[in-house]
Amino acid sequence: MSDIPNVAGRAPLVLDEDEALELLAYLVTAARTQVDEAAEYGPLRLLTAARRLGAAIAPRASASTAQFVTGPLVAAPELAVPRDGRDEYATRLDEVCRALAAHLTDHFTGQPGVAP
Amino acid sequence: MTGQEDAVLDVIRSRRVVRAMSGEPVARKALETVLDAGRWAPTAGNRHLQRFVATDDPTTLRVLRMVSPGMIQRPAAAITICTDRRLAAEYGFPPGAAGLHIDVGTAMATLLLAAHAIGLGAGPVSSFSRAAVGAVLQLPEGWVPEIVVCLGHPAPGAPPPMHPRPRLTWHDLTTWVPHKEGA
Repeated sequence: MSDIPNVAGRAPLVLDEDEALELLAYLVTAARTQVDEAAEYGPLRLLTAARRLGAAIAPRASASTAQFVTGPLVAAPELAVPRDGRDEYATRLDEVCRALAAHLTDHFTGQPGVAP
Repeated sequence: MTGQEDAVLDVIRSRRVVRAMSGEPVARKALETVLDAGRWAPTAGNRHLQRFVATDDPTTLRVLRMVSPGMIQRPAAAITICTDRRLAAEYGFPPGAAGLHIDVGTAMATLLLAAHAIGLGAGPVSSFSRAAVGAVLQLPEGWVPEIVVCLGHPAPGAPPPMHPRPRLTWHDLTTWVPHKEGA
């Protein structure tokens, strides 16, 4: 049970302890496996972590955040790596980053961000 | 070609890595069939230095997946192939001996084929923390987890392969010697 009260003015919690631990375990063990694995797995692991975080928070997140994590975030193929078509891979990630930036602008400032 | 030869080759040719599995449990009898096949995998010197650690416990599987970044699927069962390094040392193998890994490969291939032969989906995972998996599975001293074979019933929605490319034939992978001129 969290010691931090869900007080007014504070964003609602969208991740429970089990879900957070699951992601934490993934990140720590991915750091270790990456020491021995091909460098091309690096971005793949980070994106997998982002997808898992997105899937965990989507049910309790705001509608616009849920839309981002179930839309642009999962648009990139799950197992894609930069080795085959590096430019295309980077372009696709740039699109996700732009969509993320637009959502962040909208979420934190209330001003609609520029959609990609 | 006999019917038996056809059946074996069909299984070899139709097996695929399964990365999407349903939540349906795997029958214990099916797991035992796969494990029994693993026992027949060839090992160098018939030494049998590999050990199989099997689980179909949902909680153990959940934690195993948490410490295995390469585990995309949610398996209903898993067999972790371990090398008994202490036994290997008694045979005189140095810690990094390549031969030990070859036997892991033959065991893995046999488990994958056996699972496919009885209608199960299977996928190997090598991206995991050895230290964490050893702790989760409470491995005995000297047992090193080498690869996890995920097992379950195939489900739709598998992600596309990591490196999609034209299908290779055996010609692409083979070099004859002596080389023929112009070949």
